[in-house]
Amino acid sequence: MSPVVLVGTKKGLFLVRGDDARTSWEVEGPQLTGWQVFHAVRDPRDGTLHAAANNWVYGATAQRSTDGGQTWDRSEGLGLPEDSELKLTEAWHVEPGHASEPDTLFLGGAPGVLFRTDDGGTTWEVNRALLEHPTRERWQPGAGGLCCHSIQIDPNDAKRMAIAISAAGMFVSEDGGESWEPRNTGVAADFMPDDKYPEVGQCVHKLLLHPARPERFWQQNHCGVYRSDDRGETWERLDKNGLPSDFGFGLALDPSDPDAAWVVPEEGAENRVTPDGQLGVYRTRDGGGSWQRLENGLPKPAWAAVLREGMAYDDRSIAVGTQSGSVFVTSDGGESWIEAASQLPPVLSVELA
Amino acid sequence: MAVVVVPSLVAAQAGGQKRFEVEAGTVGEALRGLPVSDLLFDERGELRPLVNVYVDGVDARQSHGLDTKLGPTTEVRVVAAIAGG
Repeated sequence: MSPVVLVGTKKGLFLVRGDDARTSWEVEGPQLTGWQVFHAVRDPRDGTLHAAANNWVYGATAQRSTDGGQTWDRSEGLGLPEDSELKLTEAWHVEPGHASEPDTLFLGGAPGVLFRTDDGGTTWEVNRALLEHPTRERWQPGAGGLCCHSIQIDPNDAKRMAIAISAAGMFVSEDGGESWEPRNTGVAADFMPDDKYPEVGQCVHKLLLHPARPERFWQQNHCGVYRSDDRGETWERLDKNGLPSDFGFGLALDPSDPDAAWVVPEEGAENRVTPDGQLGVYRTRDGGGSWQRLENGLPKPAWAAVLREGMAYDDRSIAVGTQSGSVFVTSDGGESWIEAASQLPPVLSVELA
Repeated sequence: MAVVVVPSLVAAQAGGQKRFEVEAGTVGEALRGLPVSDLLFDERGELRPLVNVYVDGVDARQSHGLDTKLGPTTEVRVVAAIAGG
């Protein structure tokens, strides 16, 4: 099947289709016009497209399409229970569930909430344990709100899950979401006035597990890049090893190499653009021991910004979407990049499908 | 029978239907009966703050809001507030 980059933008969803060689790309769309598509994904189990779509006026929605995006159905009754005294403000990320649960998906949203569907996205139920987590009063919203943006399911065990919320941190469940335990030991929260290493309150920007070695996690944080080899029990900070800054959002992995990762550093929290006037993607192949800047085919001068959902990977390629409306793709590990799309609305998310 | 007219973006979420003929006593009943009511009201049933409603050309807030009575030829127009980016 030909590759597609699902590009969620501030003005709808675009499908950027590539040829088999992944050297030529064409833009289709937009779909869901008028909606800010924070994230869209193709469920590998049945091919359904799912989107977390938001609108200034009409709120947060979860949408799905079974015809490749020609038509979309909005989920029913998405919202938070009255006793929570919270309202759903944004839908952030849709994650297909474990292979053994074909009708199950998860939806992350703000304020720091997780939903589950067991009917393929028709109806969603909020995760009570996270909604009522005893540490919630210590969570603080970042610029993107209190968003649950990363949802990772252990491919070897459907009940083992990890999520990340900005700025609450990483939480792990061993029981399918019945309970959640913070996993932020050793992760900095430099923006806190006193305790720089609290139990919760870390500003994780993106959290990924390695699919072939699911006890290994990577995270790009507000305060550094980290790797954990014990499901978040302990974290090693990696951004002192050649990255130009500790700040960035996106993160990509190589499914065949647990020691490889790609990030796009930005100058810092106070100036969120790529440093040195160019877009550079940084790669490690030694578990974060060293980082190499990759720039062949990337624009210069450029003051680019890549959001937390702005990087994606599959077994052949990595895609990077910028807020200046470009999508770059590499199929050789980052040695060379192709601008697959340009002049799109600000890119909020990419996924390879 | 009253008519409700919704903006294009909302109509797209109702299969392209922009006009709805409704049997309802009030503006609120009319809007809550639409297949896109979840876009107009939040999970508490409150009208979203950037959704404006005009009844025969008059802002419903200047009348009785969602309790404004509908006549047989009333036109209710949903208009998004000027917002976005």
